[in-house]
Amino acid sequence: MKFPRPRRILLYILLILFAFAFVLPFWTGFTTSLKTKRDVIYTTPVEPPPSLTLEPWIEAFNIMEKPLFNSLIFTSLATIFSCIIGSINGYVLSKIRFKGSDLVFLFFSIGIFIPYQTVLIPLVLTMSRLGLYNTIEGLILAHTAYGIPICTLLFRNSYKEIPDSLIMAAKTDGAGTWAIYRRILLPLSSAPFVVAGVFQFTSIWNDFLFGLVLARGSEALPASVALANLKGTTTAFWNVQMAGALWYALPVIIVYLILGKYLIKAYMAGAVKG
Amino acid sequence: MKESVIAILVLLPSVLLVGYFVYASIGWNVVVSLSNWEGLQPSYSIVGFRRYADLLYDSVFWISLKNNLLLILLFVPSSILLGLFLAILLDVKVRAEGVFRTVYLLPFALSFVIIASLWAWMYDPEVGVLNILLENVGLGFLKSGWVTDSSIAMYCVILALTWQFSGYTMLVFLAGLRSIPESQVMAAEVDGAYGFSLYRRIMIPQLKSSVLAVFVILMVFALKGFDFIYILTGGGPGYSTFVLPLEMFRETFSMTHFAYGAAIATVLFVIVMLIVVPYLYMSSRRREE
Repeated sequence: MKFPRPRRILLYILLILFAFAFVLPFWTGFTTSLKTKRDVIYTTPVEPPPSLTLEPWIEAFNIMEKPLFNSLIFTSLATIFSCIIGSINGYVLSKIRFKGSDLVFLFFSIGIFIPYQTVLIPLVLTMSRLGLYNTIEGLILAHTAYGIPICTLLFRNSYKEIPDSLIMAAKTDGAGTWAIYRRILLPLSSAPFVVAGVFQFTSIWNDFLFGLVLARGSEALPASVALANLKGTTTAFWNVQMAGALWYALPVIIVYLILGKYLIKAYMAGAVKG
Repeated sequence: MKESVIAILVLLPSVLLVGYFVYASIGWNVVVSLSNWEGLQPSYSIVGFRRYADLLYDSVFWISLKNNLLLILLFVPSSILLGLFLAILLDVKVRAEGVFRTVYLLPFALSFVIIASLWAWMYDPEVGVLNILLENVGLGFLKSGWVTDSSIAMYCVILALTWQFSGYTMLVFLAGLRSIPESQVMAAEVDGAYGFSLYRRIMIPQLKSSVLAVFVILMVFALKGFDFIYILTGGGPGYSTFVLPLEMFRETFSMTHFAYGAAIATVLFVIVMLIVVPYLYMSSRRREE
């Protein structure tokens, strides 16, 4: 649909004003992260630093290095595990007819929506009993388990698009259940793997709550909790806090800029972080 | 082996994992809520619904519930309206649509911890962005304590969350608008519908199912969202920005009132399920039709 010219100019003005509103916090966070403490106080938050310093970025990195590494490890592994499991589940739930298939799907679907507060106490107790409290393995297990429902949903929806006739043809050729998955579905799975993978990576990387209760102040500390701790201290001034926030944001921003359209697909399928 | 047997065997590990970490854990939480467990030593002697009765006399619980309601009444509609507005702006074949979309959606892709840190800096009363900018443009009288002022702190939270979520609602509505058949739009145009009235009369009514989906997702978030408020205000000043998830966390992990925290979690769970279950039921029925 077309708007007449004067209205179109107004349209662009509105779009650009909104863009400013969305960029402002990032921009001021960025400029502040490059300022000395003195400049943070004596310059306006939006102006570029009069004397550029990388000191806040270095200071923040020294504090966040280990947590960023921890997050990278458990996020990557839990993403891989939950996607593989989701893919196999999605296959079974979309291509094999059996009694109770819809029920199993509903069983998983509810898991997407539950407020995690309801499972927090049992989760902490379970992890301590398994000896996984304060460990990377504990975080991998938690994120994998709670990632199964959404991954199953994403893969099932995607596999539903693959025509059943393909499966039937393979069956008449004598292919078994596993062979159909490996030879027909898996080669067609790169898109859903990227969609689910990008979604899982960003939402596990972004998670705060599980990290907070499962890895308090220890070896397995995730970057999210480290950043929150940074904010809580009076010693880390705004420039260091902003640099820390940007360090932690960096991987997701990169993924978002390169693979954003897959992330959007996941959002559209109803995958939303809590 | 029969295919259905294979199917069940393949699903079994996941069903067990989800069964344990979701369903059994919910049950376990209910059991804790009925016990007298206080302090670090677990105790499972059942005392019944006493903790739930305590809730009725807990002013922080009522403040939290009120704030969750405020999120549902203000954050949810404002995110939906702003997202709808942005979607309509972008729907009319603008140049660089992809750039605008990418910018609007970015906050939603990032962690609440990052967004809360950025907004803590925006709202900081002494050197933060908003107060300094207001002063510089001659609007110094609008300077405010923002999140440190208990009378408006909750509205500051809502504003920042709306900022984060509108990109998401925009995305869903834009897809909805794009899926309306061109022929229908053209027919309406021939009938004289034009500009925003075209949207009001013809297009927006067709977004019913996406509005419903977004509504449910945002309402659930308004109830269970924790990270953002925990980091931006910690529930303060005083108890002015407490919400149920925060109250649950504080009672459980800061004060070790495990039974009481579990009771709050159960209440939260029931409220969320009252929204989610009818929605899942409705959407599964619609798919069958």
